[in-house]
Amino acid sequence: MLDYFVDPIIIGVSIGMVYGLVALGISLIYSGLDIVHFAHGEIYMFGAFIGLTLFQKLALPYVPTLLLAIVLTGLLGMFIERVFYRRLTSGGGGYTVAGMAMVVSGFGMSILLQNIAFLIWGPKALPFPVPHGMPIEIGDLALPMSYVWIIGTALVLMTALHLVLKKTMIGLAMRAVAYNKDIAYLSGINVPLMISLTFGVACALGAAAGVLIGPINYVQVQMGIGILVKAFAAAVVGGFGSLPGAVLGGVLVGVVESLGAGFISGTYKDVYAFVLLIIVLMVRPAGILGVSIKMKA
Amino acid sequence: MSAVGAAMLDIKDLTGGYGRVQILNGANLSVQRGQIVALLGGNGTGKSTLLKAASGLIRPWGGSITFAGTRIDAMRPDAIVRAGLVQVTQGKETFPGMTVEENLLLGAYVVKDRARRNAALERVYDYFPILRDKRHQPSGGLSGGQLQMVCIGRGLMSSPSMIMLDEPSAALAPQIVMGIFQTIHRIARDGMTVLMVEQNVRMALLLASYGYVIKDGMIHIEGPSEHLINDDNVRLSYLGGTVANREAKL
Ligand SMILES: Nc1ncnc2c1ncn2[C@@H]1O[C@H](COP(=O)(O)OP(=O)(O)OP(=O)(O)O)[C@@H](O)[C@H]1O
Ligand SMILES: [Mg+2]
Repeated sequence: MLDYFVDPIIIGVSIGMVYGLVALGISLIYSGLDIVHFAHGEIYMFGAFIGLTLFQKLALPYVPTLLLAIVLTGLLGMFIERVFYRRLTSGGGGYTVAGMAMVVSGFGMSILLQNIAFLIWGPKALPFPVPHGMPIEIGDLALPMSYVWIIGTALVLMTALHLVLKKTMIGLAMRAVAYNKDIAYLSGINVPLMISLTFGVACALGAAAGVLIGPINYVQVQMGIGILVKAFAAAVVGGFGSLPGAVLGGVLVGVVESLGAGFISGTYKDVYAFVLLIIVLMVRPAGILGVSIKMKA
Repeated sequence: MSAVGAAMLDIKDLTGGYGRVQILNGANLSVQRGQIVALLGGNGTGKSTLLKAASGLIRPWGGSITFAGTRIDAMRPDAIVRAGLVQVTQGKETFPGMTVEENLLLGAYVVKDRARRNAALERVYDYFPILRDKRHQPSGGLSGGQLQMVCIGRGLMSSPSMIMLDEPSAALAPQIVMGIFQTIHRIARDGMTVLMVEQNVRMALLLASYGYVIKDGMIHIEGPSEHLINDDNVRLSYLGGTVANREAKL
């Protein structure tokens, strides 16, 4: 009977970790740049495609694939921020303004990235066959290695992000920029560079999510649309702008979805996340870990 | 005054503002090395705007700002900090989610050497011993005076050659103000050049050796502090009316 629950919970947690990584990026960007990044799903999609290309065309092993996809997508993100979004900032000083222009250009970027991906990789859903080896046997349970990889890698990345934000001068500076850009500037921090870096890190996390989900899903141009919705639900459930909240929200959405699909009906899989979202918003409008301090690590 | 030697900070015919609204209308001001200079004036006369132009937070429209012989009016704020000029803003703003020590360390962001950062930290704790006791507490829970200490301390952390303080005594209890002014005096005695915006006219002039009075974005009156203090009270009272403030021995 217990195993009956354990299975969907483990699957839910690992999918939830993927949602959490994307939600973390959305929260980071929201904290650091004051924008809600609607093209983040496409960053995740790009990460997956870049990973797939490295894995198949360069025949890299999985870990270097993961790391290189993270770095390349992070750089792509910094490029997008610098070349496109920075133009919408006040006075070119590197301060991003929340506003309709930014929302529209986020959607525009999402469409642009989908079209570029379409031109490069085509319309077909591509498999990402990673030989992770035999499932781990725990009692009666056979746990596929891809789930172990997702949970393990996500935990490593989240811990690394936490340590960087808490323990290093760069992390401190990123949090300072999120909180007050003028004071950060007057402290000698290169604010535009930190904004780029924050954006790059957020995109890198999205890429990690894409490469992690690849082996259990297909990689395709539209994959960013669904994840954006789930990651937003996760970020809001956890408390928009809170980093631990993004992870917690991701896991909750993943588990609720997986349990719902397993015990109620798989047809309504996408509905459960929103039921959770509505319940949380009714009980705690600021989200579970809703915070007033930005980029709270 | 400004003819003697090269000024540490030299502002000439400075114009600037926000959007299309012009606030600074050709301000001239200079600060000699090692001096404490007071910038006085009523509410909304452009004192903070002038400091923000000097620190790079707003880009001047015209005129020039020279610091230690280098034009800084087109530089980014972080580059100006690296050049050795730091502004402490009005309003005692800290990073409330961070501890006192993290707040201070951020002020030394341009200092890449950890040992030098720690030495700066010790110096700040020496000026403000209470901050040492509170160093692991989040700055969000500090009193107004302690917040101001964090702000001034953060400004000192990069070991600048000049610091600009925007109303360090605003909204603080009198005995706290005394403490802050005494510490500013100590900091200056230790070799720091100070430009200080103040509403507390009398105290500021007792501390400073030279003063400027700004009105409508232009320097209206300037002179050595003792002249400004002894200037007929009518002229001082229009500064904003803190003439009758308590006497201070510093
Ligand atoms: N960010 C801003 N955008 C637009 N106008 C501003 C801004 N900051 C200040 N002002 C305006 O510029 C004028 C000068 O402001 P400034 O802050 O320099 O005055 P101040 O002399 O420092 O006054 P106070 O004693 O109140 O601090 C004021 O009329 C103010 O309303
Ligand atoms: Mg002011």
